[in-house]
Amino acid sequence: MKVTITLRGTLRKYFGEDKERVYDVPEGCTCDEALKIAGLDYKKIKNFGFVSINNKRVMIYDKLQEGDLLKAFSKVSGG
Amino acid sequence: MTMLGYQNNVLRINLKEKKASTEPLRMDFARKYIGSKGLAIRYMYEELDPGIDALGEDNKLFLTTGPLTGTPVPCSGKLSVAAKSPATGTMNDCSIGGHAGIKIKFAGYDMIIFEGISEEPCYVVIEDDKVKFLDAADLWGRGSHEAEAVLAEQYGTDYSIMSIGPAGEKLSNMACINSDYYRQAGRGGIGAVMGSKKMKAILIKGTKGVKVADIEKTTDRILEILHDDVLQEDNTFVYDAGTTAFLEACGDGGIVPYKNFSGANDPEWEKYNGDVLMQYREGKRGCGSCGLGCGNFLKIGNAVCEGPEYETIAVAGPNAGITDPEHIVKFNEVCDNMGLDTISAGDTIVWAMEMTEKGLHDFGIRFGEADKMIEMVELMARQEGVGADLCKGVKYCSEKYGGTDFAMQVKGLEFPQYEPRGSWGMSLAYAVSDRGACHMRAYAPNVEVFAAAVPPYTSEGKGQMVYELGEFNAVKFSLCICDFWGTITYDIMAEMLTMITGEKWTAEEMGEVGRRVLNIGRAFNQREGFNRANDTIPKRLVREALGGEGPAAGQKIPQEAFEDMLDQYYEVMGWNKDGTMPEELIRSIL
Repeated sequence: MKVTITLRGTLRKYFGEDKERVYDVPEGCTCDEALKIAGLDYKKIKNFGFVSINNKRVMIYDKLQEGDLLKAFSKVSGG
Repeated sequence: MTMLGYQNNVLRINLKEKKASTEPLRMDFARKYIGSKGLAIRYMYEELDPGIDALGEDNKLFLTTGPLTGTPVPCSGKLSVAAKSPATGTMNDCSIGGHAGIKIKFAGYDMIIFEGISEEPCYVVIEDDKVKFLDAADLWGRGSHEAEAVLAEQYGTDYSIMSIGPAGEKLSNMACINSDYYRQAGRGGIGAVMGSKKMKAILIKGTKGVKVADIEKTTDRILEILHDDVLQEDNTFVYDAGTTAFLEACGDGGIVPYKNFSGANDPEWEKYNGDVLMQYREGKRGCGSCGLGCGNFLKIGNAVCEGPEYETIAVAGPNAGITDPEHIVKFNEVCDNMGLDTISAGDTIVWAMEMTEKGLHDFGIRFGEADKMIEMVELMARQEGVGADLCKGVKYCSEKYGGTDFAMQVKGLEFPQYEPRGSWGMSLAYAVSDRGACHMRAYAPNVEVFAAAVPPYTSEGKGQMVYELGEFNAVKFSLCICDFWGTITYDIMAEMLTMITGEKWTAEEMGEVGRRVLNIGRAFNQREGFNRANDTIPKRLVREALGGEGPAAGQKIPQEAFEDMLDQYYEVMGWNKDGTMPEELIRSIL
């Protein structure tokens, strides 16, 4: 299935000039797995924050569906 | 006892008698509370008798630096501005950026304490050992920015200026203090305390230095820390976008309030998101000793401000049902100039919007009415028309007109712009904060929302989580370190403090100081009669499912879950079930 991945904040650099990229991922793919397919291992990125599916925050191990927009955010701190 | 890094000197200014004197800093306090926030609260506990009128002659205004202030330690330019709050009756300390803290230190003081009430409007000029009291008749009634411009023209730019607007002069519960045109000590009516003393402005210039234990070692190590830790991506986002970056993150996290916290997440948020706002950036500025430079100056149409920060964007935008970015900047500009805290002013107006919409009381303003919102700020600052009541905040107004269930405040301090139904720990943080609803005490979304694998909609573990966040911020702000140095650790804090003071500090001690600071704030409030009955949240959070389409839609915080979080927190703190502190605990922190 196809999902779109976009990176926010300081994670944007991992996609270079691309605002977003579309990936073919297996059925039942989790956010974590999809990001790995895109070349990002969240556990190895020090300033990795959280993920959302279709603009709604989810857990990193939640599953994606066909056509989903997966966003990954860098950490923000302060207020 | 003295210690390097400190000036070991307090300037005490009596505004009634127009006298200034100096005295040694209480180093017994400094060793336990370090500086800034903690030291200020400890002094307040010592010097402010219980039950005093926050706007009376017995309240004092404390400007407090710390041992790192004025040194090259990165992000150490913050200043604590503290007094008993007229809005809440609690202690209140605000952290303000800019350059005033460093000027105070360079003038030779760790702390300045203002006492008494001037007979006539005045401003005070401090230049090293000289203190002058000057007539402010020509400045009184002017906007804060206007007054600063007049003073800067007269005195030049070597002075750091702190000033109040008409809201502070008229003793509004939500009056702030401005500094150097762009920073604010915003919350709890701290500007009203300054106004109650009839002090329009403070100008500070200093030519002295700060002695540190080993300047060469300190400089080398600080450069390493700056390179290896501060200027890393975890922190540098604040240079690129400042807190405008929070809007999308908080939006996807489901915690951006919409129409007075009736829902979360404005479907039209992209009209004023961070990318849109940054297109209008015309300048940048950082505080003294800062390595990050988060200050953004925006100009849209005829509206100009420093910011807007996330808080102001959210309250003047989605929380008011408004999507025009120029309005958001204008709201920020007018609030700053009038000397009103954007959070409390904004929350009170959006509450009035809901009151009008529901037909409970006609305040003449509804959601989406941008021009009226700006007019309302002016009315509140000058206490004219409905502004005469609204300037007192949502607690006062809801007790007078109804609508207490959706009056978003704790202890009389209005909510910051983080919806607690999407971050349950935030409800606890607001409830137990020592000055009412404050996001700077324990920033729960950092863990509950902005981390990839922590569940936000549960009470489990939230007492410990809020305690740890609170302890960390308490010591961080007692070192005058800016919140935006997000990667700082207790190890780094202890190392820097050791280098500057020449005395050994450990990471473990940092945690102990943080805990002590949380306790001294609570002890002050307990003496004022506060206990568990005051650690509450608005009924809206408990009774109403969160509206909108965000990830937290449908959530509410069951009362038993909230009480569970309170129980957890009190247990972690070693407090009694009723929220009071055991006497032996109070004695142990003095």
